[in-house]
Amino acid sequence: MGSDLDRQIQTLLQCKIITEAEVKDLCLKAREILVEESNVQRVDAPVTVCGDIHGQFHDLKELFKVGGECPKTNYLFMGMGTVARYVFSVMLSIEIDLPGDFVDRGHHSVETFLLLLALKVRYPDRITLIRGNHESRQITKVYGFYDECFQKFGSANVWRYCCEIFDYLSLSAIIDDRIFCVHGGLSPSINTIDQIRTIDRMQEVPHNGAMCDLLWSDPDPDSCTGWGLSPRGAGFLFGESVAKPFLHNNGLELIARAHQLVMEGYKLMFDEQVVTVWSAPNYCYRCGNVAAILEVDSNLNREYRIFKDSDRSSMNSRTNPQREGPPDYFL
Amino acid sequence: MTSSDRVFQNNHLRHREGLTTVSHDWTMVKAGSLVEKQTLVTIDADATVEDACEVLLKNGITSAPVYDSVKKMYVGMFDYGDLMTYLLLLLKKMDVPLEDQTMEMRDLIQRTSRSQNVPVKLASDLSGKDPFCTVLEETRLGAVVHDFGTGIHRVAVMDSEGNMKGILSQSSTLDYLMRHLSEYPQLQPVMQKSLQQCGLSNGRVLSVNGDEKVLDALISMSTNSVSSLAVLDDQGVLLGNISMTDIKHIMKNLRTSWLWITCFQLVCKIRLSQGVESGEDQYPVLDVNAKSTFGYTLSKLQATKAHRMWVVNDSGCAVGVVSLTDVFRVLSRLIDIDD
Repeated sequence: MGSDLDRQIQTLLQCKIITEAEVKDLCLKAREILVEESNVQRVDAPVTVCGDIHGQFHDLKELFKVGGECPKTNYLFMGMGTVARYVFSVMLSIEIDLPGDFVDRGHHSVETFLLLLALKVRYPDRITLIRGNHESRQITKVYGFYDECFQKFGSANVWRYCCEIFDYLSLSAIIDDRIFCVHGGLSPSINTIDQIRTIDRMQEVPHNGAMCDLLWSDPDPDSCTGWGLSPRGAGFLFGESVAKPFLHNNGLELIARAHQLVMEGYKLMFDEQVVTVWSAPNYCYRCGNVAAILEVDSNLNREYRIFKDSDRSSMNSRTNPQREGPPDYFL
Repeated sequence: MTSSDRVFQNNHLRHREGLTTVSHDWTMVKAGSLVEKQTLVTIDADATVEDACEVLLKNGITSAPVYDSVKKMYVGMFDYGDLMTYLLLLLKKMDVPLEDQTMEMRDLIQRTSRSQNVPVKLASDLSGKDPFCTVLEETRLGAVVHDFGTGIHRVAVMDSEGNMKGILSQSSTLDYLMRHLSEYPQLQPVMQKSLQQCGLSNGRVLSVNGDEKVLDALISMSTNSVSSLAVLDDQGVLLGNISMTDIKHIMKNLRTSWLWITCFQLVCKIRLSQGVESGEDQYPVLDVNAKSTFGYTLSKLQATKAHRMWVVNDSGCAVGVVSLTDVFRVLSRLIDIDD
């Protein structure tokens, strides 16, 4: 098993896919590990906390360069961002209005996810994966991951195996009982960490309720009412008046989360008690943002490392011009 | 009561506590006060339809008044509904019998068949829906809300000299009412009612299958005189929504090839590009259920800036819809009852 898995990891590190049978087997092994994990998975510092990668494979490799290779560095990924923004436009061979509409860009969600999963199976205690809002059947059908799986494997099987794994992912993590990590944010249904432990997580992300909120909510620095409905159509906006009591009542010093693009890579709010960590640099190869990872040492000291997109990614964005103009067949 | 309902109610109560508020009658608010700080965006009557589209896109609005500088007057409104009708006429997907054609329409059709540029004055109010409707600054909200309840999406607010002060839309009026809810205790009771109790939980759902082409959906919207359709899968499960305003995505840089993709693909494309633009991805369906309260539905409409919420059952199938027009019809019924 060990050498097979190592070989698969080497393949994936080159941004190449493994076979469908290997994916099925990998998912079975991953399930055995993930099913044992808690809704609030305990993680020991030191650990490097990352936001979701959004299929930007080469930037994941950049992240490993900056943060150190797994398993040498202990990692926690707050969601995987299994999004593939360019795939279905490519499949339709029609123009899209995002720059650089050519095959190579940004649609490596499958390789990215499988690599992280393989690392989890290989080094289960050195990498923690928690669920993000994109790790859902409904969302992956809209945001391209389903299409990418279909395109690369010729059927929906791999997508199905991945979705089953999504159901087993933890909802959150806690570092040394002090730093709470979740993909989205807080829920009006949840006042204590213990309440999260009572959620039945092994299902598709519901459209509302506590499990949905944890993966969809956003902090709102402008909030004056504490809670508000989210403009996203799922989850809530939560203000300082909600976040601070939650931190205090649960003995926490920080809530780390991802879910929202941050131009500077990371953003501290509410007297530095809530932080958004965004780990996809130059998002969609056009936003021009930097990415960040949060390094927590064994004394829970925190340091943010910034990184830009990998040379290969930025080379792609430079050499491919944007196509314009209506297609010939109009009228 | 769900936690969402509790959140909504708590927010409302928090506003009420400790505030000395004068009990206002929301129906007496003057239309002019709601558009006081607005910067008016207008379109020149001789601009091309394509340029008019650019104005809407650039300003992030769904309609604008059309001003004729020769006649020195407003000749109508141009919105995405008109744009859709224009596109369908252009593509010869729409047949208007000769006797129903206005002079402007005849002129427009002739120009398009000769591939000539069409000035927007011929395309304004083309859809026949949402005619140019004006109110005075002093007109009370009660009257405006009554208009909104009949399907008028926006009114132009004029001063006594005939100058346009601003456009008052269903959306901005809803936003105003929700922000000032604590000042209008008369609205409290209806906010607590469920959609079922308001008679909004089921109704005819006009829909399109996810595999149908966008162009066919636009034709269907035009034929049925609606501004949106539910996008459903083969089991009737709600996948998303296609609305007239989505045409702005189709017109961006004249990406008319989007007319021939499927409706589900359009839902995906729009979600994908909006996610990049705003840096946060949105949930693909905006829905409520029969037990959701009227107040919760309004909060969600306000928060998401949507023009409708689909009502779904436990299986996720669309069983009804609550549009802004439905909302204002319910609110204007309150006025009738009070009188």
